[in-house]
Amino acid sequence: MFHVSFRYIFGIPPLILVLLPVASSDCDIEGQDGKEYESVLMISIDELLDSMKEIGSNCLNNESNFFKKHLCDDNKEGTFLYRAARKLKQFRKMNNSDNFDHHLSMVSQGTLQLLNCTSKVKGRKSPSLSEAQPTKNLEENKSLKEQKKQNGLCFLKRLIQKIKTCWNKILRGTKEH
Amino acid sequence: MTILGTAFGMVFYLLQVVSGESGYAQNGDLEDAELDDYYSFSCYSQLEVNRSHHSLTCTFDDPDINSTNLELEICGALLEINCLNFTKLQEVYYIKTKKFLLIGDSEICVKLGEKSITCKKMNIVKIVKPEAPFNISVVYREGANDFVVTFNTSHLQKKYVKNLMHDVAYRQEKVENNWMHVNLSSTKLTLLQRKLQDDAMYEIKVRSIPYSSDYFEGFWSEWSPSYHFRTPETKRAEETDPVLLTISISSFFSVAVLVILACVLWKRRIKPIVWPSLPDHKKTLEQLCKKPRKNLNVSFNPESFLDCQIHKVDGIQSQDEMEGFLQEAFPPQPEESEKQRLGGGVQDPNGSPEHTVITPETFRRESPLECLAGNGSACDATILPCPRSPESDENGPHVYQGLLLNPGTTNNIPPPPFPLQSGILTLNPIAQGQPILTSLGPSPEEAYVTMSSFYQNQ
Repeated sequence: MFHVSFRYIFGIPPLILVLLPVASSDCDIEGQDGKEYESVLMISIDELLDSMKEIGSNCLNNESNFFKKHLCDDNKEGTFLYRAARKLKQFRKMNNSDNFDHHLSMVSQGTLQLLNCTSKVKGRKSPSLSEAQPTKNLEENKSLKEQKKQNGLCFLKRLIQKIKTCWNKILRGTKEH
Repeated sequence: MTILGTAFGMVFYLLQVVSGESGYAQNGDLEDAELDDYYSFSCYSQLEVNRSHHSLTCTFDDPDINSTNLELEICGALLEINCLNFTKLQEVYYIKTKKFLLIGDSEICVKLGEKSITCKKMNIVKIVKPEAPFNISVVYREGANDFVVTFNTSHLQKKYVKNLMHDVAYRQEKVENNWMHVNLSSTKLTLLQRKLQDDAMYEIKVRSIPYSSDYFEGFWSEWSPSYHFRTPETKRAEETDPVLLTISISSFFSVAVLVILACVLWKRRIKPIVWPSLPDHKKTLEQLCKKPRKNLNVSFNPESFLDCQIHKVDGIQSQDEMEGFLQEAFPPQPEESEKQRLGGGVQDPNGSPEHTVITPETFRRESPLECLAGNGSACDATILPCPRSPESDENGPHVYQGLLLNPGTTNNIPPPPFPLQSGILTLNPIAQGQPILTSLGPSPEEAYVTMSSFYQNQ
């Protein structure tokens, strides 16, 4: 009996202290009333998804590592949006149209504008899209490039959809409260 | 000592110079405040003014300011860049770009060279000035007696500033500064004709502002170009009135006439049809019995019968009819009183039996009963079918025992028409002891008259 209570007194508080940073959110979200999202961000998100309607039929079903690593979990919505918005920035100036790049910038920068994340979240460097490839002949490079572009667009579409879903989750939670 | 004094003096001098440049706390604030007032400016933004490009326009509040070397710069809430410089057009500073983030605050600074004189924090989405509406038109609807006002705005096709509040202002041109205002969120308005003056010129215009409950806020747009329209005269309405007036008057009079006629003819004509009365014997009888003419000379003086042709009645020539008639009649035995009456009726007041002949013609022509029924006395008469007497031949004349006269009756009931075709009615004197009447079945007319006379006697 004595050793049980001893464990509870001295075991649980440290556990709470360890878990607290894990459970707490690293990013504060502004505009949770939904005005900024509905009036500005959602317009650009819908424009991007409309222009990517044809993309998706050739996409692979396997989930990217990014989405396995970063999820829009409870109390982690802000962190996910931060990471996703930064990832979105990398897709600018990839031979897209001006209008497409403009809306990409609106979504990524608008989302980052509404987030106030700690240096812990900001400090991590997001991996770049392009990875070093060994030199191959031209034809193989071409096909690889096309495939990469296709994979990139599939990933981009999936990313934008995830961002939209996460925003809707945040606003739904705000309305319920 | 002098060195020390010099050193202190130098220090104080330096302090003064430094404080002079940076300013005392109070003096610095005043200068900054003055600068802010002097270089105060106001801005407004217009989103999607040219497809996806937005515009930002700023002007100094003081029109006398020397803005020759002054520049304006906006920093913050921009896409991919930190700051943007304004373009100067005369006294107006203008930016046209699509790099506004539309989220968060920006800072607009007045710069003199590289130095910022004064800065102001602004949110682009809170200083939106919509574009002015256009194509305002007014259409008069004669059937509805109203004016339909429609106008167009470019914000219907925009993505960001879509919800606007419109202010429609109209006035009569002769009346200065008497503008009437109507607020609406749609682009269509209906004005009732009765709220406007007839045959007058009106001026109408419209402006817009972002909806207050929306994310975007700002200022009123410029007024749309005015539209002028004239309200119709009311003569047309007056022209149609006489027609309606005449119709209404005629219908009123016709209704009045109908009502009067109904009241007048109610008892005589309408009520018997609507509520027919049950037939009454007495009244029917009265109707059947015609009232005698006035000044009718009736007397029982034989001399008054001089004009009447009295013929001897030997017999009736149409024997078949006689037989048929007798067969129909019931053969009850008449009472003695009746016999006596019969007998008395036909007898000559002198006592001598006479053959009184009454031809059917005379009977009909002169209506002897009419002659007899003088002084309002009774016209009760029954012509009883006379059965054959045993003494008479078969071919002998059939006798109709004559007229039954009841002087006591007062009913002026004419006898029913006797169905004599032809022949002569012979009234034979009554033989004593001989039953004269054998078939004295009461005919319906006889019974009718008899009952009436019975009633009168009572």
